[in-house]
Amino acid sequence: MSSLQGYVDRRVLVILQDGRAIVGVMAGFDQKSNVVLSDSKERVYSMEEGVEEIPLGLYLVKGDMIILIGELDETVDQAVDLASIRAEPILPIRY
Amino acid sequence: MLIFSVFKTLTDQQVTVELKNDLSITGVLKSVDQFLNIRLDNITVLDEARHPHMMAVKNCFIRGSVVRYVQLPAEHVDTQLLEDATRREAQNQIKR
Amino acid sequence: MDPSSSGIQEPFDLIRLSLSERVFVKLRGDREMTGILHVRALKHMMGHMNLILSDVEETIMIVNEGEQATVSVAKRKMGMLFVRGDGVILVSPPSRTQ
Repeated sequence: MSSLQGYVDRRVLVILQDGRAIVGVMAGFDQKSNVVLSDSKERVYSMEEGVEEIPLGLYLVKGDMIILIGELDETVDQAVDLASIRAEPILPIRY
Repeated sequence: MLIFSVFKTLTDQQVTVELKNDLSITGVLKSVDQFLNIRLDNITVLDEARHPHMMAVKNCFIRGSVVRYVQLPAEHVDTQLLEDATRREAQNQIKR
Repeated sequence: MDPSSSGIQEPFDLIRLSLSERVFVKLRGDREMTGILHVRALKHMMGHMNLILSDVEETIMIVNEGEQATVSVAKRKMGMLFVRGDGVILVSPPSRTQ
């Protein structure tokens, strides 16, 4: 996963195999695509209430668990009113 | 390796990647590696109302092993060339 | 160089590739499809059979669990499709699809 270089120091959304969504600043990665996020939060989606953000701080995500890394447009992200969003969590990967 | 080459020729074309969690992401193919990990630019998620999770994401890296399908731009795929290459690969394997 | 090493020794193996023909593909997750086969990676590095098909019609069986489980079917068409090999259960040539 050589192409993660461009994401260093950027605010990213990381989606995991089980459907969890974590946002944070990519502090670094290694050749096994393990990723270190700083100032990270898990975003918990539900249909009953708005998005809940759980602070995780400095967080190491194992490479095998990652299915997607997306660079966030920070202006767009900050403009989103998380409290108003109702959505099912992302489904887990089924092989 | 044939598939890898096909993806390389489709760089800068629009593709739709469907993941094994039913998420479909359309974007411009920026790069692909030997594991078929994919980089997409300028992405949109199908049915954004149900999938607002990636609203603010502008480009992304997708792990190849979680891809179910990739919808390709048919006009940029030379099927004759691909079939010839597939036959050649098969022939080489028989010889081995 | 052995002259017999050039040319096709096992022509039936090549015929069974079913290139340019409509094939039936069974996939994981209660999915199946038909499409015109263009690429068939026989031995991917992980032993998978990656495919490229065109004029694809996919059928997805959706099982609605409950007292009496019902199955609904969703269909969709796609123009040109790469199918990752780890989801492929079988590819059968046109003669066996009827």
